[in-house]
Amino acid sequence: MQSVLVVDDDPFIRKLVATTLEDVGEFELHEAADGLEALEIAQRERPTLVFLDVDMPRLDGIDACRRLREDPTTGRTTIVMLTAAHGDDVERRAEDAGADLFLTKPFSPLDLLRLVDRLGSAGGPGARRS
Amino acid sequence: MAVHSEAELAEEIERLRAELARREREAADKELQLERYAADLRETFKQERARSQELSRSYMATVRALSNAVEARDAYTGKHAERVAAYGMAVARALGLSAESPEIEFGFLLHDIGKLAIPDAILYKPSALTEEERALMARHPVLGADIVRGIDFLGGAGQVVRHHHERWDGQGYPDGLRGEEIPITARVFAVADVLDALTTDRPYRPASTMPIAREIIIRESGSHFDPRVVEAFASIPLETLERIGAEIR
Repeated sequence: MQSVLVVDDDPFIRKLVATTLEDVGEFELHEAADGLEALEIAQRERPTLVFLDVDMPRLDGIDACRRLREDPTTGRTTIVMLTAAHGDDVERRAEDAGADLFLTKPFSPLDLLRLVDRLGSAGGPGARRS
Repeated sequence: MAVHSEAELAEEIERLRAELARREREAADKELQLERYAADLRETFKQERARSQELSRSYMATVRALSNAVEARDAYTGKHAERVAAYGMAVARALGLSAESPEIEFGFLLHDIGKLAIPDAILYKPSALTEEERALMARHPVLGADIVRGIDFLGGAGQVVRHHHERWDGQGYPDGLRGEEIPITARVFAVADVLDALTTDRPYRPASTMPIAREIIIRESGSHFDPRVVEAFASIPLETLERIGAEIR
């Protein structure tokens, strides 16, 4: 079963991502409310896929992304950044930090599902943005 | 009670304003996100509906094609299956059977599909059949039920195929079921089948008129046919039956 970590300080978004995924398949879902918690859970659970919000307290998504990449235990996980539409150079910074894919908020659940499908069929973890 | 200076109060108000603005932003974001979900949901629903309608149409087209394959071999019955299906649906409606599911009509259209497995030499033999030939001919409902068995979307249609020659009094075939042992769809079909046979010219006799055919069927209530089905059948206006007979030639 694929292990997925959803990181967002807004429980509403975490719940939304989780329910959307639950409807289409078997995932082992983990949630974190900020970057530090995300690192902790990622090291323990070794998720193959991480949804990472950008603006979060304690440790933001960009820095969390960079540290996930630097850590050999989590370095190969697929990271999807959840970015706000008005985010100026967020995508560039996230890419520099090692993010694989982007999902713009408000995100489309169909896009989310297509993305997961694509990752599932295109070699899973580490699959790069096309 | 704590005493606040004006500056403190102004600061507090400013803080509350900022907090309010932040919450408003959050609420607006949530609303946008939910609208996105609703939009996707509507889109998905629309697509699913279109797909399911398309699927229903292809089911019906497939069943008609199979039914036509049976008809094409049998020159004298013409559009028998289509007509008998129309009569049968009229009876089913009069009886209050749910006409929502297309399975009933599928069964009516495919009732004789087992005849595909009967050799031409027997199916078109101009003289009387031998005992053996008659026995093979009488297996067409079983052969037909075997043919359609694996097709899930036909649902209960296979029951009509297998039991359309059963009789209410148990004298029919292939299983000699009696009364309510016979599936209701097959009991309905039996009336429609005989009605069409009676009102169609045959090499050995001319067609009966609709009123006479109806009388013959009513007379067979309780022996050949389910009395409840005959009652429903008898309640259908003659013109309705005649229209079906005239339109599907």
